[in-house]
Amino acid sequence: MAEAVAGNDQRSLLYKIRIFVNSHLINMFAGGLFALLAIFLAFPIVMVFIKSLWGDDGFTLGFYQEFFSYNFYYWSFLNTMILGLSAMVILVVVGFCFAYMTTKGPNWLRKPLKVCALMPLCAPPYIFSISLITLFGRNGMVTNFFDLNFNIYSWTGVIVAQCLAFLPLSYMMIENVLNSQNPSLEESASDMGASEFTIMRAITIPLAAPGVLKAALLVFVMTIAEFGNPAILGGRIPFLAPDTYLMITGEGDFNMASVLSVVLMVPCLIIFVIHNYMLKGKGYTTIVGKPTAVDPKDMTPLIKYSLLAIVIPVAIMVLLSFAVIVMGAFVKIVGVDNTFVIDHMLNMQSNTAIFNSVKLSLLAGLFGAIVGTLLAYVIMRGKFKGRKVMEMMALSGFALPGTVIGVGYIMAFNRPPFLLAGTIWILILNCAFRFLAVGVEAGISKLHQISIEIEEASADLGADFITIFFKVILPIMFSAFIAGFIYTFMTTMMSLSSVIFLVTPGFDLAAVYIYLTAQLGELGLASAATVKMMLIVVICFASLKLLAKKTGLDVIEK
Amino acid sequence: MGNTETPMLELVDVHKSFGDVDVLKGISASISKGELLTFVGPSGCGKTTLLRIIGGFTPITSGKIILDGEDIADLPPNMRDTKMVFQSYALFPHMNVRKNIGFGLKLKKMPQKKIDDRVDELLALVHLEGLGDRTIERISGGQQQRVALARSLALEPKVLLLDEPLSNLDANLRVVMRDEIRNIQERIRITTIFVTHDQYEAMSISDRLLVLNDGIIQQIGSPSDIYETPDNRFIAEFVGYVNFLEGKIESFDQDSSGLFLVSTEYGDISLNKINEKNFDKGDDVFLVIRPETVTLFPSDAEDMPNMLKGKIQHSMYAGNLVKYTIKCGDREILIDQYNPKDSIKFRCGDNIKFTVPRTVHAIPKRG
Ligand SMILES: Nc1ncnc2c1ncn2[C@@H]1O[C@H](COP(=O)(O)OP(=O)(O)O)[C@@H](O)[C@H]1O
Ligand SMILES: [Mg+2]
Repeated sequence: MAEAVAGNDQRSLLYKIRIFVNSHLINMFAGGLFALLAIFLAFPIVMVFIKSLWGDDGFTLGFYQEFFSYNFYYWSFLNTMILGLSAMVILVVVGFCFAYMTTKGPNWLRKPLKVCALMPLCAPPYIFSISLITLFGRNGMVTNFFDLNFNIYSWTGVIVAQCLAFLPLSYMMIENVLNSQNPSLEESASDMGASEFTIMRAITIPLAAPGVLKAALLVFVMTIAEFGNPAILGGRIPFLAPDTYLMITGEGDFNMASVLSVVLMVPCLIIFVIHNYMLKGKGYTTIVGKPTAVDPKDMTPLIKYSLLAIVIPVAIMVLLSFAVIVMGAFVKIVGVDNTFVIDHMLNMQSNTAIFNSVKLSLLAGLFGAIVGTLLAYVIMRGKFKGRKVMEMMALSGFALPGTVIGVGYIMAFNRPPFLLAGTIWILILNCAFRFLAVGVEAGISKLHQISIEIEEASADLGADFITIFFKVILPIMFSAFIAGFIYTFMTTMMSLSSVIFLVTPGFDLAAVYIYLTAQLGELGLASAATVKMMLIVVICFASLKLLAKKTGLDVIEK
Repeated sequence: MGNTETPMLELVDVHKSFGDVDVLKGISASISKGELLTFVGPSGCGKTTLLRIIGGFTPITSGKIILDGEDIADLPPNMRDTKMVFQSYALFPHMNVRKNIGFGLKLKKMPQKKIDDRVDELLALVHLEGLGDRTIERISGGQQQRVALARSLALEPKVLLLDEPLSNLDANLRVVMRDEIRNIQERIRITTIFVTHDQYEAMSISDRLLVLNDGIIQQIGSPSDIYETPDNRFIAEFVGYVNFLEGKIESFDQDSSGLFLVSTEYGDISLNKINEKNFDKGDDVFLVIRPETVTLFPSDAEDMPNMLKGKIQHSMYAGNLVKYTIKCGDREILIDQYNPKDSIKFRCGDNIKFTVPRTVHAIPKRG
């Protein structure tokens, strides 16, 4: 028999290469993607670490020593932590109150409260700096009306702005937890004679605790990483994110900027790890089988009014903030000279900035969606070691503060072989890789629904990896691709913390423009640009919702 | 070379381990052109793994897969001339029936006109004329099965692989599709490997069965070989109900009459020449007694060779047969008596006699 078999050694070299390519194409792609992640996510971060330890005379711990020996520096760290903790505590309480009211409260209140809690999503976080200045600044509407002597450029200002900005995050996560609790548990407790207060204390809150903890950690990370609000309202109070920026624009001190970045990054990474590995799968699943629909019960008045006392003022603040921004865009100076003007809206510089932002966001969205979809595919279907590492890298962009990646990018890409500084490419890559997480996760969850046999069948019928990807996988994953695109587009539109390090004079972006005009007190211009940005973001949200309705792929809920 | 015909597919000492679990421990078998061979065995015995190794979806640990004279063990699936019908059918949800069937042809860059003709031909073959433009969600499970089959046949593979293709269909449809697959296979004479855990399905569709258990081949043979002359207890039990009667070879007369005498606890049984096995006088054996091969007699019947005594313990009427449970010594023997209308009916407690045919099969007690 043996002599009849064409020996494998006798096959031509070309044929062998063909076998190799066909069997390893997916791994080659994985290698390419790995290289991209390494260059555009890991490398900048490594640069930050290196720069924090490497001075003109080589390795040194001197910069860290300096950090811990100057008030100004370590207070920057302590303040940031205090800010994160305060926002976290406040938002857990406020988020819970909103979530409780919208899941168990009176029917007619649910929708309006939900809208208020989610509204900040369609504006960048720093919109609240602008609205707070408009309302409570030295010349603010409220300040003038009540003749207050009030300083909004303070701790209060920063904390309030941050809480309003990240209310949706806390609310969505806690609402999700409450929604997934089995109503029969509460009904049976009530059946046994427990009051609403007892049920809340003994059942609802303990069951929600793990989910609420996750929400709290995320709020903490987001608030300490946020750049805009502390930069605009922080005044003389040092915070890490704005200080990093000042360290570079003001002093040109890349070493100290790197130290500040590392100090900011460490808590974020710790929480990222806790969140992804220790809390993964934690939380109670109380619904087995189909959830039973229950009729809303009347809330106990005491509880209802206590919650409303928290929820209503916050809701009013949100609405008021949006109102004054819209107003600010169309009047001369809100509260001072309320005559209608269109100049703010027509400002050329602002329109150019918006146009540039849209262009950047389109490119980043496209690039991010392609890389994200490919990554999801390779992570799910590749057969190589290190897929977990790859997934972690892809998702880490979400956990890393924008300022840190921004600092890393200017240091990593300002010289060959990666001379990108000053080009639009550095912005595109920065945004695409920072916001990769959503596209990757959407892709992964879509792939979970596709039987692997579909791909095996394609290979069986003669398709190689590239054909399978473009002819079979991409059409099926298209909704995930679109979701990744829109999400990246939207976040790039609003993102400030990273791009502010990377823009060149003469290339204005909307976010940077809003920040700078707000800094200069040009609230009308800032408001007008914000309104335009919000319109674009709202359209994106509507498209995402439509996509979710059409395909069942919901990225907003995550 | 021993036989004149080269096998279409040959497995040579195929080994497969997942980590330190050895799932396949040296499988060697060959399939001739146009044959339908079934891999059958209990769940988890490695049928799917072996099929996937042939298809190229699971890498082999060691061994050879020789397809039409070429070792394909290291080729990726898209370079193998085998095609698989998946358990889930794996039809492309974003393409209609025609596009699904034509997928492989299109990859081969066949002109569209020829693809259309071939697809029409295949639609007719699997009786789906007129459904070509339907989307996959808009056809039934049985129709999806046909599309999957047509899609695999489109490329005229050297070997067609089917992994439990009927398991997602309901009972009636399963029989219809089973017969239809066999029909198509015989018509186009395509070499086929069929995987199932259902022994009746296996016996009714196959030219030959490959019985797999514990990662090794238990027996390869035609359905009747497997059923009537199983190599060991596992196979005997796997393909149907069986009574084992323990005995010892008393006399060993290999020349003239070819009769053997096996003594059992309940009496002596003489049998025809015991297969090809190298039995010796004094060997311990199991007699493989299928319930339908035993004949029942009333207790006053005349004594005959191979006749044993017993007592009816239980009977169950099932229309085409009566199932009797007989107490024989301290053990129970199951007997099926067909055509009850024209047979003596026994009641519980009746003493009876029964005969075991001389053709009864014996297997060695060990192994
Ligand atoms: N990818 C895998 N990794 C580890 N073990 C596997 C894998 N695939 C199959 N097995 C194991 O190999 C054995 C045979 O599986 P399989 O071939 O699917 O059996 P069958 O198809 O006969 O039911 C089972 O014990 C199964 O758990
Ligand atoms: Mg199987």
